[in-house]
Amino acid sequence: MSDLLSIATIVLAGVIQASLQLSLGGLVLLYHSSMGRHKRRKTRYLAKSYIWGASAISFVIVCAGAFVLRNILGGPIPQEWMMVAVGALMACALVMLLGYFRDGNGTELWLPKSVSRYITRRAKSANDDIEAFSLGMLSAFAELPISLVIYFIVANCLISVRMPLVAALLYVAIVAAPMVALKIGIKTGKNAIAAQKWRIRNKAFVKLFASSGFVVLALFVVAFWVM
Amino acid sequence: MGRKRITYEYTHDGIKESVLRHAKSLRLPEGWGEQVAERVANATDKWIDDKDMVTEDDLRNFISRELDEISPDIAFAYRNHDKII
Repeated sequence: MSDLLSIATIVLAGVIQASLQLSLGGLVLLYHSSMGRHKRRKTRYLAKSYIWGASAISFVIVCAGAFVLRNILGGPIPQEWMMVAVGALMACALVMLLGYFRDGNGTELWLPKSVSRYITRRAKSANDDIEAFSLGMLSAFAELPISLVIYFIVANCLISVRMPLVAALLYVAIVAAPMVALKIGIKTGKNAIAAQKWRIRNKAFVKLFASSGFVVLALFVVAFWVM
Repeated sequence: MGRKRITYEYTHDGIKESVLRHAKSLRLPEGWGEQVAERVANATDKWIDDKDMVTEDDLRNFISRELDEISPDIAFAYRNHDKII
């Protein structure tokens, strides 16, 4: 498989993962609660640590996945497994469209109430960099039921490119882009509630975008990795 | 088995602080935030005065309605901060 094709798959997977809302929602919540309690400088540090945490866990998962695929399972995964991944991608597309956001006028997600309450509580009480970093990690972990298949495909691509580290960093940069954009927006005078209003206004678009992204990635995998 | 009922003591300062936190996170001028918080806390004091017990939802609804009239942005933040994720 050519490097270009692997990189294209990684970029597409990164864009889909960037459209998932849990990490971004966690950051909005962290900003909102921290700006009410701390000085701006401290809020900036907390947000930076959160983004590093969410990015670090994505990086670790794809690298660990690539390591396991290459050294334990013996190279790129067979086509049958890729077909299973395609099925999972289609299921995720359906979940995104039908059940990702809870009904109502907020942006509450499909998460079990206990998990979202825990993340909300942690975001509201985060006081230092370590807490914010681990909150970022937690938010990326909590989204695993949806993002696991994306990590799996990215890990499979990583073992077939010549510079896997660069490709993994590119993937993480794409995943972190919405969080970085939010950070820049807040640095330039916006507030977390303006970002939340934007998220509410564009909820349907986000759903449609992510859902069609999963379908496109599934078709991409079938066309270039299975057939 | 029924759910355990948790009760809290109502305080003027608690309401004021809660509203003020939202005002701060919206980067509103501190003086204006203080004024809004004080007005809402005073109105809530009056409203709650003749009641033995109110639910958290009732209290939140009342505060949100008060905020709607004074500052829709704080009202939005107050209403929606638990609906972000």
